[in-house]
Amino acid sequence: MFDKIAGRALVPVGVVVTGFLAVCFVLLYAGIKDIVIRDAAGQANNLAGIVLKSTRYAMMNSDRTLNNTIIKNISEQKGVEHVRIFNKKGIVAFSSRPNEVNRQVDKKAEGCVICHEKAVPVASVGAMQKARTFRNAAGTDVLAITAPIYNEPECYEAACHFHSASQQVLGTLDIGLSREATLGALNSIRMQMIFFSVLTLILTVAGVITLLKIIVLVPLQKLQRFTEKSEHNSNVTQPTDLPYELDKIAKSYYFIRTKLGEIDKSAL
Amino acid sequence: MEQAGANQVEAVEQAACKPLASLRQELLDEMASLRHFSNRGLLALSLFLVVSTLAWRDFWFLPRPEKIVASLGAPPSPQTISIVLVLYTFSAIILSLSRLMAGLKHASSFCHVGYTGVFYLFYYFAQGLQDNYWAVFGAGFTVLSLESYRIWTWSQQQLAKKEQQLAYLDRTGRLPVKDDEDEDDDSY
Repeated sequence: MFDKIAGRALVPVGVVVTGFLAVCFVLLYAGIKDIVIRDAAGQANNLAGIVLKSTRYAMMNSDRTLNNTIIKNISEQKGVEHVRIFNKKGIVAFSSRPNEVNRQVDKKAEGCVICHEKAVPVASVGAMQKARTFRNAAGTDVLAITAPIYNEPECYEAACHFHSASQQVLGTLDIGLSREATLGALNSIRMQMIFFSVLTLILTVAGVITLLKIIVLVPLQKLQRFTEKSEHNSNVTQPTDLPYELDKIAKSYYFIRTKLGEIDKSAL
Repeated sequence: MEQAGANQVEAVEQAACKPLASLRQELLDEMASLRHFSNRGLLALSLFLVVSTLAWRDFWFLPRPEKIVASLGAPPSPQTISIVLVLYTFSAIILSLSRLMAGLKHASSFCHVGYTGVFYLFYYFAQGLQDNYWAVFGAGFTVLSLESYRIWTWSQQQLAKKEQQLAYLDRTGRLPVKDDEDEDDDSY
C-alpha cells in the first residue's frame, strides 16, 4: 500500500482530514450542547419564577386549597414531571404527588446539598447551580430547578406576623421538567453533524484521488508504458500531453534510446 | 564550491582508508539504529493510548478537581481550552506536514503525548472532560498518527539509501560519493 504513490499521498490526507474534522465536530457539538443545556436551565428558571409569582397570592393568604390547585394544574402541563414546595424545615408542604406531602427531605439529597453543604446554608445561588439532572423512577431524564422562596417585606410585615424579618428564606420550590425534547434536539444535531462530516470526508478523499489520478498517475502510466514498449521496439514515439517534469524524463529517455539505436546500427 | 569539492574528496579518501569490515559494520549499525528509530512514532502512540485510558477512567488517582481548584484557583473555561486545542491541532498538523514535505528527521512524537496529556488535565480540572474527551483523543491520535507516518517514511527512505550504499560497498569495496541531498540528510 505504501509502495505506491496513491497510498503514500492518501494516507496523510485521510488521517489529517478525518482527524481534524472529528476534533472540530466534537468540540462544536460540546459547545452547542453547553448552550442548549444552559438555555434549557434558563427557561426552567423562568418557569420556576412564574410558578412562584402564581402561588404568591395564595401563600400570602395562606390558602392551601388554591395553592394545591395551582400546583396540580401546572403539573398537568406536558413536560412537567413534578412540582413541590418545601417549608424551611425541609418538609413537603405542597406537591403534585399527594403522597409526598408532609414528608421530610434529606438536606444532603441532590438539589438540597448545593445550599446545605455547609453549617450556614447559602441564601442565593446562580442559575446553573439551581439546576440538577437525574433520571426519575419512571425512567424519564429530568432537569430540576430548586428555587428559594425569599422573605419579602410583604411577608414579614403582614398582619399575621407569622414570619420574622430575620428569616431570609421561607422555603423552596422544586420543579422538574422532562429533558426529552432537549436530548432529542441534541441527538438530531449530533446525527446531522456525523452525516455532514462523513460527506465532507468522502468528498475530500474523492477529490484527492481524482486530482492525483489525472495529474500524476495517468501521465506516469503513459511514461511507464512508453519505457516498457521502447525496450523491445526502438521506433516507439514518445508520449504527448505529459506534465513538464515527466515530459523532460520522456525526452531524455527517448534521446538515450535513439542514440543507443544508432550505436547498435553502426555496430552492425 | 572548490572547498566543498575538496571536502568531498577528503571524506572519500578517509572512508577509503577505513577497513572494509569496519565500513560495513558502521552501515549495518546505522541501519539497525534507523529501524529502531522508525518505531518511535508507534511507541509515542502507545504511550498516548495509556494516557487516554487514564483520562477515560477520570484520573481516579488524582485529587478531585474541586480540591485542586481550591488550592490553585479557577482553571480556564472549557470553551477557552477548546479554542487552544483547535489551534494546537492545526499548528501541529501543519508543522508535521511541513516536516514531511521537507524530509526532516526531527523526532518530536513524545512531546505531543505531553501536550495532549495537559489538555486532558485542564479539561479534568475544568470539569469538562466528559464532553471533550473524544476531541482530545481525536487530536492526539491524528497528530501522533501523522508523526508516526512521517518518521516511518523518513526512516524507510534512509534505510533504502543505506542498503544501496551497502550494496555499492560490497560491489566496489568503497562508499559512493555523497551528493548534496545525502549531505543534508546526514546533518539532521
